Amino acid sequence: MNTEPSQLITSVPEFLAHAILLERESVERYEELADSMETHNNLEVAQLFRKLAHFGELHAHEVEHHAEGMELPEIPPWDFKWSTPESPESGAMEEVHYLMGTREALEFALHNETRGRDFYAHVAETSPDPEVRRMAAEFTAEETEHVNILKSWLLNLTDAGEEPLEDLDPPNVTE
Amino acid sequence: MSSSQTVELKPKDYKSDIKPVWCPGCGHFAVLSAVTKALAHLGLPREEVALVSGIGCSSRIPAYVSVYGFHGIHGRALAAAQGLKAARPDLTVIVAGGDGDGFSIGGNHFIHACRRNMDLTYIVMDNEVYGMTKGQASPTTAPDWAKSKLTPHGPGVPSFNPAAIALASGATFIARGFSGDPNGIARLLVEAIEHPGFSFLQVLSPCTTFRPEQKEWKKVVHPFAEQEPTANPVEAAQRIQADDGMSTGMLYRTLVPVWQPDNVATTQVEALEGGFQV
Repeated sequence: MNTEPSQLITSVPEFLAHAILLERESVERYEELADSMETHNNLEVAQLFRKLAHFGELHAHEVEHHAEGMELPEIPPWDFKWSTPESPESGAMEEVHYLMGTREALEFALHNETRGRDFYAHVAETSPDPEVRRMAAEFTAEETEHVNILKSWLLNLTDAGEEPLEDLDPPNVTE
Repeated sequence: MSSSQTVELKPKDYKSDIKPVWCPGCGHFAVLSAVTKALAHLGLPREEVALVSGIGCSSRIPAYVSVYGFHGIHGRALAAAQGLKAARPDLTVIVAGGDGDGFSIGGNHFIHACRRNMDLTYIVMDNEVYGMTKGQASPTTAPDWAKSKLTPHGPGVPSFNPAAIALASGATFIARGFSGDPNGIARLLVEAIEHPGFSFLQVLSPCTTFRPEQKEWKKVVHPFAEQEPTANPVEAAQRIQADDGMSTGMLYRTLVPVWQPDNVATTQVEALEGGFQV
C-alpha cells in the first residue's frame, strides 16, 4: 500500500467519500455479475452474487449513515487513494467466467472482502487524523467479520465430488 | 427523456435498465463503467449526448447507456456519427465499436474520420477477435494465432496498427487504455471528449470466451514510457514504432481546425424541387 503523504487520507469527509464509493461500487459489481450470470443461465452463482449485493447494500447504508449531514468532497474516479485499479471490493471482472461454480464465486468474494479489509486497516494505521483512524479501525473490524463469514461459508460448502459446470453447447465451438 | 436536469447525475444514472448480454468477465464491462464515470464527471446532461455504434459485441453498448443511442450497421458507426454531428453540432457524440467493425469493415471510414477531424470521440474495444460470430481472426489478430478453424495456421499477415494508421490519417488525439483499469479509461475518455476534434481511444479489452489467454494482458500492460503526450507527429510515429502494443496512456494530442459544415441553408426546398421538374 502507498504511504506517500499525498496518498494518505487526512479527514473524515475524505475517508467517508472513499468508504461510500467502495461499498457502492461493490454492490454495483455484484448486481452486474448477478445479472450477467442470470443471462448466461448460471442461476446458482447468480443467486449468490445477488445475496452478496444485498448484504453489501445493507453495509453501504450503514456507511452512508455516518456521512449524514456532512459535505463530502467530489473526487474524480482516478484520484481515489486505493492501490488497486478499482475500488478494493470491486472484484476484477476478468476473474469471473460464466461456468464458475459456487466455490469459485465465494473465493472471488473472499478476495474482494479481504482487499476491503486491508484498505481500511491501512487507513487505520496511516491516517494522520485520529478520528479517521478510529473509524477506519471500526470498519476494519466489520470487514473482518465479513471475511470470516465467507471463510465459514467456504468451509461448510458441500461440493466435494461435484462435477464442474459444463456447457453442452459451448460458444467456442466453431462451425 | 427530460429536457432539463437539475440533479447531479451519478455514474449509475447513465446506465440504462437493459442488462448487458456480454459474457461474465468480458472487458467491455469496464468500458461501460468508464463511459458512465466520464459522463458523470463531465456533468453532461443525458439528452445532450449520443452514443453511436456499428455491429459486434462491443457495439451493443448504446443499449446499456441512458443517453441517445444508435446501433447502426456493420462498420458504418463513424459514417452515421459524422452525419449526426454535422446536423447536431451541439451534441456530444461518442462512437464505439470493436476492432473488426472499426478496422476491417469500417476501416476506410476510420481513415477518413481521422482526416476529417470532426469533434467526435471514437472508442474501439480491441480484443483481437470477432467474438459475436464465434471467434474469427480480426485485423488486429497476431499473424500466428491459430485457434480459429478459418485460419488454422494463423492469419499469416501482420496485424493492423491502429495508432499508426490514426496518426498517418490525421487524428488529433490518440490514446490507449486497458479494461483492467476502468478508472484510467474514464480519465482518458474525459480528455478525449474535451478534446476539440477527432479523438481516438483504443481500449485493450480481453475476450474471455474466444481469447482466454488475454487474461494475461494485465501482467504485460504498462504505461507509455513518456508520461506526457507529444504534439509532434514525428515523435509520435517514433513512439508508435517503439511500442509493443501494450502501452497505455495518452500518446499524441495536437490542435488543428475542426471540420464542421455550415448548416445555414443556401436555398429553399421549392427551388431545389424546381430543379427536378421536367
